[in-house]
Amino acid sequence: MKRVLVLAMSSILLFAACGDSGGGGDGSEPSSPEVELTLSAAASLTEAFGEIGGGFEAANPGTIVTFNFGPSDGLAGQINEGAPVDVFASASPTWMDSVQDDGPGITGRVDFAQNKLAIVVPAGNPAGIENLDDLTEDGVQLVLAAEGVPVGDYAREVFANAGISEAALANVVSNEEDVKAVITKVQSGDADAGIAYVTDVTPDIAEEVTLIPIPDDVNVIATYPIAVVNGSQEADVAQSFVDYVLGDGQQILAEYGFLPPP
Amino acid sequence: MTLDVDISAARGAFQIRAAFEAVPGQTVALLGPNGSGKSTLVATIAGLLPPVRGTIELGGMMLDDAEGGSHMPPERRPIGVMFQDLLLFPHLSAIDNVAFPIRARGGARSDARERAADLLGRLGVGARAEARPRDLSGGEAQRVALARALIAEPALLLLDEPLSALDVGARVRIRELVRGELARFPGVRIIVTHDPVEASTLCDRLVLVEEGRVTQIGSPEEIRTAPRSRYAADMVGLNSFRGRLEPLEDGAGLLVTDEGSVVAAWPEGSDGGEAMGLLRPADVTLSLQSPAGSARNVFRGQVTSIAVEGDRARVRLATAPPLVAEVTLSSVQRLGLRDGVIVWASFKAVEVQVLPL
Amino acid sequence: MATDSRSSPSTASSPHRRGRIPAGFVVLAALGVALVALPLLGLVLRTPWSRIVEILTSETALTALRLSLVVATTAAAISFVLGFSLAWVLVRSTFPGKTLVRAVVVLPLVMPPVVAGVGLLAAFGRRNGILGSWLYEWFGIQLTFTTGAAVLAATFVSFPLAVLALEAGLRGLDERLEDAATTLGASRWYVLRWVTLPLMAPQIAAALVLSWARALGEFGATITFAGNLQGRTQTLPLAVFEQLQSDTDAAFAVSMLLILLAFAVILSLRGRFLR
Repeated sequence: MKRVLVLAMSSILLFAACGDSGGGGDGSEPSSPEVELTLSAAASLTEAFGEIGGGFEAANPGTIVTFNFGPSDGLAGQINEGAPVDVFASASPTWMDSVQDDGPGITGRVDFAQNKLAIVVPAGNPAGIENLDDLTEDGVQLVLAAEGVPVGDYAREVFANAGISEAALANVVSNEEDVKAVITKVQSGDADAGIAYVTDVTPDIAEEVTLIPIPDDVNVIATYPIAVVNGSQEADVAQSFVDYVLGDGQQILAEYGFLPPP
Repeated sequence: MTLDVDISAARGAFQIRAAFEAVPGQTVALLGPNGSGKSTLVATIAGLLPPVRGTIELGGMMLDDAEGGSHMPPERRPIGVMFQDLLLFPHLSAIDNVAFPIRARGGARSDARERAADLLGRLGVGARAEARPRDLSGGEAQRVALARALIAEPALLLLDEPLSALDVGARVRIRELVRGELARFPGVRIIVTHDPVEASTLCDRLVLVEEGRVTQIGSPEEIRTAPRSRYAADMVGLNSFRGRLEPLEDGAGLLVTDEGSVVAAWPEGSDGGEAMGLLRPADVTLSLQSPAGSARNVFRGQVTSIAVEGDRARVRLATAPPLVAEVTLSSVQRLGLRDGVIVWASFKAVEVQVLPL
Repeated sequence: MATDSRSSPSTASSPHRRGRIPAGFVVLAALGVALVALPLLGLVLRTPWSRIVEILTSETALTALRLSLVVATTAAAISFVLGFSLAWVLVRSTFPGKTLVRAVVVLPLVMPPVVAGVGLLAAFGRRNGILGSWLYEWFGIQLTFTTGAAVLAATFVSFPLAVLALEAGLRGLDERLEDAATTLGASRWYVLRWVTLPLMAPQIAAALVLSWARALGEFGATITFAGNLQGRTQTLPLAVFEQLQSDTDAAFAVSMLLILLAFAVILSLRGRFLR
């Protein structure tokens, strides 16, 4: 009997271990939905799109919106490998281009928001970072997103703009999977500083993460495109979601600190 | 380098109490039935089991002193042990097994192997030096184990049931080999066995161990002449009766045992009490009718087994007490003796030798 | 045959039953093999063999390879030393709470690796770790973002495998052989080196191979606790993951390298130690 119990427990735990790491919000309706929409969106959109998704579901009863948040490069890769995604929202045009050119193709592409980068530090600012130059000090433990992830590429662009590339990059101790992983490392205090979007310092974590602005003359403006992925089984509903983002969604995005599209 | 043992030891629920001495040049047998405590005693002498009480001393070296709190670990004792299951190291060749005691004490590999090769040669298994234990025959493995015990020239040689695992043919050959090696071994020699023949033929002194106690120490002849326990008596093939000796009016004695009573001549100067009576099987007369004559001991019972040894037969009887009679084969035929046949057994009081306990 | 003791179990089987394997078993066995073989086959087919040399000799790949070998080997060595000692204590002594100790030690096996990483942070994180914060405040020692952290994460997940394999080995030993060795003059250290360990050689090999392979493949705990930096913490699995986001060809190529590495180790030991 004891052996059976142990086996059962192990199976359950193993099952949990194999659980997904990229899944985001899910619908809460138990009854079988009329429409199920799958969205891949950049990690920086996690909070804003969570709310937008809820609003869309409320406005369209019978629709369930499922999110897949992650780094835009990874999401594009999944779509190009055939992942059944209806809508793709990227943190940079590059990866939308990738789906357009190397993948199934897109329809109704439109830019829906912009974002700026900022330095993030743990509460209490243990390394005393006040500006970009401070990031070049010896021994500063700096965390960026990996190259290929939009915010990672943007950060490196900012360093280049500020002329501190070599010194700042020498302080990088980890290249994270996406912007949320950068935030996590800063939030726990294991890193001295990170580069993320201004929108990433949400009210929830404001007590643990402090935002230090980057001067506009060296900062990068990130443009976020959204589009319906070709081959979607729910192309009409997907398009209405895109319209929603451009409509009611804009206020929600603004509340989270996003800038309006160009 | 005399070995002086005076200890109590315990392993699990089992306890043993033993005191004896062994001098160099003499082979001592620890002889007793299985379960009597011999292997516990071996483990204690070897240093694997510290005694609860008492001391073990070898040539002035204190190996164990329970009360004084000293215990010399096995690896420092100058001993060589040959184990009951041989316990050859399966991952080493024969020659490396034999070289092990030298190398373990810091000896150089080439020197150890050379001495091992010589010893294996002397014991007749030189050709099997590179074989693994699993490829050796029973007799070959025995020789390798013996060599391994001898090679470091220990002060004390301990052989635990050296012949018991062998078939009859190998046993005879190995016994001669062991006898030869024992003869040339200068130190103290102890053989542990349950086989009285083995003990009698290889050893000069016997230490009888029964149920956790030493019951008798002596040479094989001494024990044969005056065995002090049923096991000792059985060992030499005698009938034995153990009980209380009570006087009878006519001056004889009645030895009262749990299984029945026997009339014996009263031993001179004895006050009675606990005693052992011994009776040679050859002194028991069997008949189909109630015997005439003056024998004071007459019993009637069923034949339970008949064992032929040469031109004689040992007949076991379910009398009270049980008896063993030794008769000629022609008597067996004449009396028509078979299992289940009821016979009369008789013997004289004076034929029962009484030893006080 | 000599009546000496052996530590390996008997492999005798009835000659009458050989060859008569139930069809059901064959089908299920084939499914099991397919389950493992198909992904491997897929990898082999998708690997860009024409580009493979170029990819695998790139700085990213070589750095990740070197780092992986260092981390996995160090982790396996630590797991072995600590694991052997623990196995010894578990097999040869009794103490209250032994069952609990064994349960705790085996836990990393069923723990999701990311959870393991979070646990490592909770213990060794610079600011909030119960030990890590103390180390940082008093000695300025930081464990996160170092190669040491990668080793620590790899050791954490491979340690239980070493313990289990070594425990099985110790349990199967005939302790009387060790006793015999002491009566023949061997010190406890000599017995360990020349009798105990050699008799356990198959289980030791299994422990090393299993823990090394597990350490080599560790991802979740490493990326959560140690971070991802080329040359310092980016082991092969992390490199694969990063490549997967941008250059899938490269991801396949490096995955192939990982598999060939593990395969080579397993095959090299097959003849001698693994049955």
